[in-house]
Amino acid sequence: MSARPDAATPPALEARVHVRVGRGAEVFALDAELTLERGVLVLFGPSGAGKSLTLRALAGLVRPERGFVRVAGETLFDAERGADVPTHRRGIGWVPQRDSLFPFRSTAENVAFGLPRARRRVLDAELRTLLDELGIAGLAEARPASLSGGERQRVALARALAARPRLLLLDEPFASIDRPGRAELWRLLRATLDRHAAPAVFVTHDADEALALADRVVRYERGRSGKDGAPREILADAYPLSLDGAVVEAGGAGLALRGARLAGPAGALPIAERGRVRVALRTPPERPER
Amino acid sequence: MSTGAGFPIALSLRVAALAVALIGPPGLALAWLQARRRYPGRTLVDALVLLPLVLPPTVVGYFLVVLFGRRGPIGRALEALFDARVVFTPAAAVIASAVVALPLLVKTAQPAIEAVPDELEEVGRSLGLGPASLFARVTLPAAWQGVTAAMVLAFARAVGEFGATLMFAGNVPGRTNTMPLELYAAWQAGDDARALLYVGVLSALSLAVVLLAPRLAPRAGAA
Repeated sequence: MSARPDAATPPALEARVHVRVGRGAEVFALDAELTLERGVLVLFGPSGAGKSLTLRALAGLVRPERGFVRVAGETLFDAERGADVPTHRRGIGWVPQRDSLFPFRSTAENVAFGLPRARRRVLDAELRTLLDELGIAGLAEARPASLSGGERQRVALARALAARPRLLLLDEPFASIDRPGRAELWRLLRATLDRHAAPAVFVTHDADEALALADRVVRYERGRSGKDGAPREILADAYPLSLDGAVVEAGGAGLALRGARLAGPAGALPIAERGRVRVALRTPPERPER
Repeated sequence: MSTGAGFPIALSLRVAALAVALIGPPGLALAWLQARRRYPGRTLVDALVLLPLVLPPTVVGYFLVVLFGRRGPIGRALEALFDARVVFTPAAAVIASAVVALPLLVKTAQPAIEAVPDELEEVGRSLGLGPASLFARVTLPAAWQGVTAAMVLAFARAVGEFGATLMFAGNVPGRTNTMPLELYAAWQAGDDARALLYVGVLSALSLAVVLLAPRLAPRAGAA
């Protein structure tokens, strides 16, 4: 994403939050700084890096110690000015990782849940279109218990979008869905967000997912957000380095590698001319994130 | 059997229904508070909620008389404001049953509310629901089985209330003679048929409750 399309349009999101959770030896501190003009911002990084906590701070589900949150130019939180708009007045859509459909409501009732009483009775044209777009029109009367994991997350997405949020927050919504199903959901989500011009912040630790969805990516490491950038730039070192056909040259300062490729399931990523690649070995931690 | 045999049955059901109606809203609010909030003094509140369950009902009755009697703080206020007296009235029977049933209501509803996934409430909030509508539209429907079980158990306990009722409401024929009191009176008077009637009604009611309550226990994946 380049410069602001229109100087009068405030960015979809500007935030700087310092959050501390837990107590004693279990304290986790988060320092995050995010900006999104429009489109989709992906927070990428290993589990436990503070991505989900950032979303919770944006949604007002945890209270930062310092910092501010501005959505579409409106201040939702400002520690210094004592501003703290409660979650239910923030106009922020929330799609959590775990199943979050109201089990006592049908698909249609779930989707209309956040709307004024009059619009909850029958599906109007707008809601029908939304269900159509997400391929769940045929499930309107179904109960959540009878839906598949992918269908449930589509309903959760429709429910969040139906309320016309100013910003949509998605916390690894497809984590429990198998690979092929997930790729289909990426296309669907991206197309739906574009159609509704809904800015979104999406959390994932899956580089392919980040690449499929992001306009901008911010990388998280141990409670800190890095600089944001274009997906290919930020995600380059998240892919395995292929030395197939590469030439290794030993020079004065070390080793140079020519013709190497970074290959991921979503395709190969080019390494910039004379670009540097840091190769690190690590085992991905699989702890659940708080 | 006298003409009034049906009166204690109707009175008991009415007293228990009013008692549950009286403690329902504050009891569920208390259950929610204990389930969802961590605050200083929470353990103390927990203990106070449980107290009527552990105290001998006659002791509960004694405290109620002290509080609501003509020289008690609440009794004096009620008399000054509304010229109303509570002791030895049906209202006293309702209050006695309510106090004794409250622990059962709170302690049964609390785990049901705790079991409601955080995600549901968080999504509800993000969709614009304030605290009251969140409770009414998300928490309560999601916990309805446990909440209904709590109501049923509280009702059953209220119907069976004896000790506190006797101390606080007395056994005034035609006014406060609920089934358990009437049963005791009939037994003492050697009126076995009359005693057996209330034994039968109370046993049937209790049996229905113990058969019903487990079916209302929260089940995983139940919709």
